[in-house]
Amino acid sequence: MKSSTLAKGQSLKTFINGVWKDHPIFSMILGICSALAVSNKVENAIAMGAGVTFVLLATGILIAALRRLIPTRVRMIAYMIIIATFVIIVDRVLKALFPDISQAIGPYVGLIITNCIIMGRAEAFYIQNRVGQSLIDALANGFGYTYTLVSVAVVRELLGFGTILGFQVMPEGFTKWVVMAMAPGAFFVLAIFIWIGRSLAGMEEE
Amino acid sequence: MKDKILMIVFVLVLGSILTAALVAVNFYTTPIIEKNEEIATKSSILKALNIPFNQGEVEQIFADNVDEKQKDGITYYVAKDNNIAFPYSGSGLWGPIEGIIAVQPDFERLQGITIIRQEETPGLGSRIGEAPYLAQFEGKRFSEGLKLVQPGRSSQDNEIDSITGATMTSDAFIAILNENLQEVMPAIKQGEGQ
Repeated sequence: MKSSTLAKGQSLKTFINGVWKDHPIFSMILGICSALAVSNKVENAIAMGAGVTFVLLATGILIAALRRLIPTRVRMIAYMIIIATFVIIVDRVLKALFPDISQAIGPYVGLIITNCIIMGRAEAFYIQNRVGQSLIDALANGFGYTYTLVSVAVVRELLGFGTILGFQVMPEGFTKWVVMAMAPGAFFVLAIFIWIGRSLAGMEEE
Repeated sequence: MKDKILMIVFVLVLGSILTAALVAVNFYTTPIIEKNEEIATKSSILKALNIPFNQGEVEQIFADNVDEKQKDGITYYVAKDNNIAFPYSGSGLWGPIEGIIAVQPDFERLQGITIIRQEETPGLGSRIGEAPYLAQFEGKRFSEGLKLVQPGRSSQDNEIDSITGATMTSDAFIAILNENLQEVMPAIKQGEGQ
């Protein structure tokens, strides 16, 4: 068996699993706490998605590189301090370069530390796979998380504020759906998205 | 035994390296973050004093138009037209509300109110931060205390409309303003020789 074709096939599978089959939000309902909180505006969703993706990538690379060195019994602590470090970096950089966005999603950046997607991927994937595969997995999961957040945010910002990315889209005099701007709106929209996503993927409850 | 020592060494080494990285990031970002906060406060003061400015030249316009003064440990800002601004803070419904109050030179009427930080319910209480709501404070007489009335019912010059669906936030906000005005105005009046 040629190892390069094998690796290629595996990479593709890893990627598809991340963005679709094992999609963190649709199929595993992980990380929805932040997904509900910051998806009221597209801008916030993009920033949060980028933050989570960056932390996933950095954590994935570091854990995969250190996977033979990390003693099994302290691997959870190792994950935690690695994740926490990168999350704090994201928080500081956002505060320094994008103060407005940082203001809007402030407390939720810190909560990336406890985002189950990152811990979950670290334990399920990065600790057992090589750096390259982990990188693809991190990209796929980050992309999966981001596009879900952004699509929920598009619906919520459109109905809740009448805008997309701050531009007025709805006609003047459009009645804003206040519920969409608040957390309950996210439950409705996300539930509908999960329903559609799961039906398309043909997933069944066991 | 060797395993255990290795385990501790590993955690210590990893922890030290990551901490060093954080110290470096902190070192580079702290001055930028402080600068951002300073600019946010200054532009909020300019807005409350109704001095027009462009983002990017906040510092320059602030330096040209506003004098910083102190009296009894209270910092306040005097504009060229003698309007006076000072920071306020207090507890809203969910978290602290902070911002700037500007008063007119007669020490009786408000010039403007801005909000720098608030954590009220998005879409309901958070509307205290929207320009149309804050605009109604201009020219209101605060010397006998601001009074909250039903939405759209304000008729006297010390009455403020509340926000539909955000009674608690409206109450808290007016209370914060009254409290801060009462506390700070005597010192400012003294400082300005009134």
